[in-house]
Amino acid sequence: MAWVPQMIRRFLEKPGSVDLARFQATVAEAARLEPEVRARPELPPPAADAVGTAEFCAVAREAAVRTLGQRPYDVQLVGALALLDGNVAEMATGEGKTLSGALAAAGFALRGRRVHVISVNDYLARRDAEWMAPLYGAFGLTVGWIGQDSTPEERRAAYARDVTYAAVSELGFDVLRDRLRTDPADLLVPAPEVALVDEADSVLVDEARVPLILAGAADAGRTAPETAALVRRLSRGYHFEVDDEGRNVFLTAKGTDTVEKALGIDLYDHPGTVAEVNLALHAHALLTRDVDYIVRDGKVHLINPSRGRVALLQRWPDGLQAAVEAKERLAPSETGEILDSITIQGLLTRYPEICGMTGTAVAVGEQLREFYDLKVAVIPPNRPCVRVDEPDRIFAAAEDKVAAIVEEIAARHATGRPILVGTLDVAESESLDLRLRARGLEPVVLNAKNDAEEAAIIARAGAYGAITVSTQMAGRGTDIRLGDDTAGGEGSEEAIRRLGGLYVIGTGRHDSSRLDDQLRGRAGRQGDPGGSVFFVSGEDELLTAYAPDAALPAADPDGVVRHPEAAWTAGHAQRVAEGVNLEIHRNTWRYTRLLERQRAELLERRDRILHGDAGARALEDACPERYAELRASAGEEAVERAARQIVLFHLDRCWTEYLAHMADVREGIHLRALGRLNPLDEFNREAVPAYRHVLDEIGRRSKETFETVDVTLDLAGQGLARPTATWTYLVQDNPFGSEWDRALSRVASLLKGRRRGR
Amino acid sequence: MLSAITRAFRTPDLRKKLLFTLGIIALFRLGSVLPTPGVNSENVAKALEQAQAGDSGNIYGMVQLFSGGALLKLSVFALGIMPYITASIILQLLTVVIPRLEALKKEGQAGTAKITQYTRYLTIGLAVLQSTAFVALARSGQLFPNNNLPILLNDDIFTLVTMVITMTAGTSVIMWLGELVTDRGVGNGMSILIFTQVVAVFPSELMNIFRQSAFKFVVVMIVGIVMIAVVVFIEQAQRRIPVQYAKRMVGRRMYGGTSTYIPLKVNQAGIIPVIFASSLLYLPQLLVTIFGNSANPGPVIEWLAQNLVTGDHPVYMVTFFALILFFTYFYVSITFNPVEVADNMKKYGGFIPGIRPGRPTAEYLNYVLTRLTAAGAPYLGVISLIPILALAVAGASQNFPFGGTSILIMVGVGLDTVKQIESQLQQRNYEGFLR
Repeated sequence: MAWVPQMIRRFLEKPGSVDLARFQATVAEAARLEPEVRARPELPPPAADAVGTAEFCAVAREAAVRTLGQRPYDVQLVGALALLDGNVAEMATGEGKTLSGALAAAGFALRGRRVHVISVNDYLARRDAEWMAPLYGAFGLTVGWIGQDSTPEERRAAYARDVTYAAVSELGFDVLRDRLRTDPADLLVPAPEVALVDEADSVLVDEARVPLILAGAADAGRTAPETAALVRRLSRGYHFEVDDEGRNVFLTAKGTDTVEKALGIDLYDHPGTVAEVNLALHAHALLTRDVDYIVRDGKVHLINPSRGRVALLQRWPDGLQAAVEAKERLAPSETGEILDSITIQGLLTRYPEICGMTGTAVAVGEQLREFYDLKVAVIPPNRPCVRVDEPDRIFAAAEDKVAAIVEEIAARHATGRPILVGTLDVAESESLDLRLRARGLEPVVLNAKNDAEEAAIIARAGAYGAITVSTQMAGRGTDIRLGDDTAGGEGSEEAIRRLGGLYVIGTGRHDSSRLDDQLRGRAGRQGDPGGSVFFVSGEDELLTAYAPDAALPAADPDGVVRHPEAAWTAGHAQRVAEGVNLEIHRNTWRYTRLLERQRAELLERRDRILHGDAGARALEDACPERYAELRASAGEEAVERAARQIVLFHLDRCWTEYLAHMADVREGIHLRALGRLNPLDEFNREAVPAYRHVLDEIGRRSKETFETVDVTLDLAGQGLARPTATWTYLVQDNPFGSEWDRALSRVASLLKGRRRGR
Repeated sequence: MLSAITRAFRTPDLRKKLLFTLGIIALFRLGSVLPTPGVNSENVAKALEQAQAGDSGNIYGMVQLFSGGALLKLSVFALGIMPYITASIILQLLTVVIPRLEALKKEGQAGTAKITQYTRYLTIGLAVLQSTAFVALARSGQLFPNNNLPILLNDDIFTLVTMVITMTAGTSVIMWLGELVTDRGVGNGMSILIFTQVVAVFPSELMNIFRQSAFKFVVVMIVGIVMIAVVVFIEQAQRRIPVQYAKRMVGRRMYGGTSTYIPLKVNQAGIIPVIFASSLLYLPQLLVTIFGNSANPGPVIEWLAQNLVTGDHPVYMVTFFALILFFTYFYVSITFNPVEVADNMKKYGGFIPGIRPGRPTAEYLNYVLTRLTAAGAPYLGVISLIPILALAVAGASQNFPFGGTSILIMVGVGLDTVKQIESQLQQRNYEGFLR
């Protein structure tokens, strides 16, 4: 009766309960057709209405065999069918998600839909597109990919293909840039039809916490080295303090005195100066070189914390970049101004059809349903996973943990078993590298600083005696094969299997159990043997930041904490972190929903101006005399062109100002909760009249310009270079808690205080 | 406000939400008048009439208010939302005491969902207890002490168990209805249901007054409407303390004025002080009920019976007023901690222009808040006293419909809901230069 609970889960629409029976039946039927299809000399692509049938599966399988030399397993076909049905397919690592995805993408394309395969980074987008190109060719389909360095022409060509592979940020930024075009011929991204998301949990959940933001250079940057120097003299704990989560920093009274004396002003009467000091302090105390950013070629490069990669073209907002540059004594770069933004959610919900695949979907099933209305289909592995996941080893002190990790690596390495060590940040990977070298071992380090060699390093990670130390970048999409068949002997795949396969060591739990699972998943692909273990210490950032009150049980004399409570504490810290991140995601979404609706509405107007003469007609209505006068002198066409440019310019300008205003409102909106008001409602109440004002302002300014400007001259004198920047809001919706929470905590602390007093 | 609602009905998805909410309210009312199987509804109606005419002190006052009169009718929804509210309060108290619950709460949505689940279980437990108690009271005839009509058709164990199960199931359905409204309707489901119950008694009670005298009815209506207007006005009154966040450089602005501020309300405490004060004043009544029947009640009980049981006695009024003042200050002080607010602002780089973050800010906030509450506390007291005064002066019926609590609840929930509808409405339909 094992199906009864499954049926209940399905009825309750629990994540991962999509019924696979019909897909499995189709695939079984396809197996029956296989000999006949194999005998066909030619393989014409299936008709549009055959997509999803057994015939389609059989042909697709045969096409993969003929072009890639790979015969898709039944489960891969089931995965492809689940994708074609619009689900998120959970497939274990190494099961060939890429092939499943390509078969599904081909299916959508055969139905005549344009498919965007969205991945987490450029490397995967390019690799998959090039790898699968012959398969698409067999179906008579074209495929293209987009990377960070693609030119507009290459992008346009790639978007014109039937199937386009692109990283989510590239796609998002192309959409954002398109929204600011002033010439219809420059538009790149075609109308959205089907989105197939690779690593769906990463793209749809983790990346979605932060909106994609397009910033334009406003003016030459200005750093304040004197403020940086002033801040450098301040000391933590005396002049300033950092909050528990390590996200905010503030001056103490002593610090304020010192700063005021140094500057000779009443600090809090000068908001601008306060901002400068705060930013300098933030850069000084909260951002660490080689953890949050690296300095390369005299420039500050951000590190993307969820992937451990250098995030090219990303910047900190609003002067923080300049403050970091001042801290590192670098030349200032241009300051940015936010031109437009879009959330991942806003980007992807434009597509009428979304599906996705990942190794870890069930854990975020609720969120996928809440935010994207997607269901999760769990595809069983082709061969059961035999990886041995050992329980966490927990230490009181970080130093004991590192020592134990080094010991463990040395002991495992002695047998020649390949080891993959996953670290949490770049600095940790480098210090571990030094420790291992001191022990006479020769690890290979893969982190944000040498990501160019990624493919080569990963190719060797499963070889005999390999020790690979990597940041999270090795966590997704990279397939580590055991052994090296050219080597033979003790280096052969068979020998490595006998050694126990790849051994994965995590130097700390990530802030989401999915990231842990992704790292573990590097071992034990396709039923290979493998093992994994995580090392945790009470001084890990995860525990100190998210479970500061939940003390670990006492350690044994050797520094190991063996009490069962310790595992709970580590899990608790991780769950708190997941909760916090979910809240950030949800708030990002809730607070951008209205703005995105307004943006969509404004864009609709913008499109009518861009593609038609709506701008000219509006200006003709607004100032008929001037219009007639100009038409007489410059001709209808010139006036229309000028009117278009004028209105578009002011429309974009006003939107930029509106975004800045709303960012300002957002920052302090949580204070409204103190007056028993709902911050989200209040935010929306502020947004509505402000947006009306935008509409009026566009008209007013357009008229003004139209009255004075010389339409025969070039109007677009503003060359808007557009670097990009991202940031997240760190202010919670209501940091004070509900009224009841506050009352309760007050009473509780009163009681506790009294007890302590006795 | 009316125009907002008519406009809302013209917007398809809002109309759907509004109709859904109204449908739920209708269902809820239906269940509140639908008698539980086994109840002799004719006798209950008679007993209720007698109880109302008899002007006896109603010991279930507050509960009756929140159940919209359903309680004494022994209807399917007799227990109303009280079990759920009680359960939520108990669980919130427990989170302070039990570390594991506190840990769950910190785990964010997943943890909160679990706590909500526990709240539901506890609600059902409480509902079983309360319904058993009421069925027992009904069976022994203590529900309506001054008459002897049998309320139950028969009192074999099967009927009693059916009644308990029905009422418990009713409570679960109410809980579900509330959650449905929150999810798919407008406003906060629980608040809307409380609002419904508070308003539900108005027609019958106004009708009673009208039957007594048409003049009294007109006076009551005028007083009621004026009170509602005053409450609406004061509930929205706030003092805005400007705040600057200094993490970003602020460029040129096209929007005048600051939109970042702390809104301090004149009535920062809301309705809670009134509920606390009236609950506390039930104590003497309870004592008198318990000890008053003995042959020699003693001087204390006698004094209580004279001064603190009937609302029209000056001592009662003064005590009530004083208690409200006290609880207002008390509740404001525990819900708004200026030190915490100042710390939070400091943490995120916010400051009140011209005032240093930290202690100076906390002192300033405290100063403003104390002075505001000096106006807010008497306002609450007066609003709560008006019905009692009206009773004393006009000799109106015991259940003056525009009681202070009722009006505060009504206006509070009403304002919130209309605001929410309005904010959803405003998000559509823009006009301007380019349309």
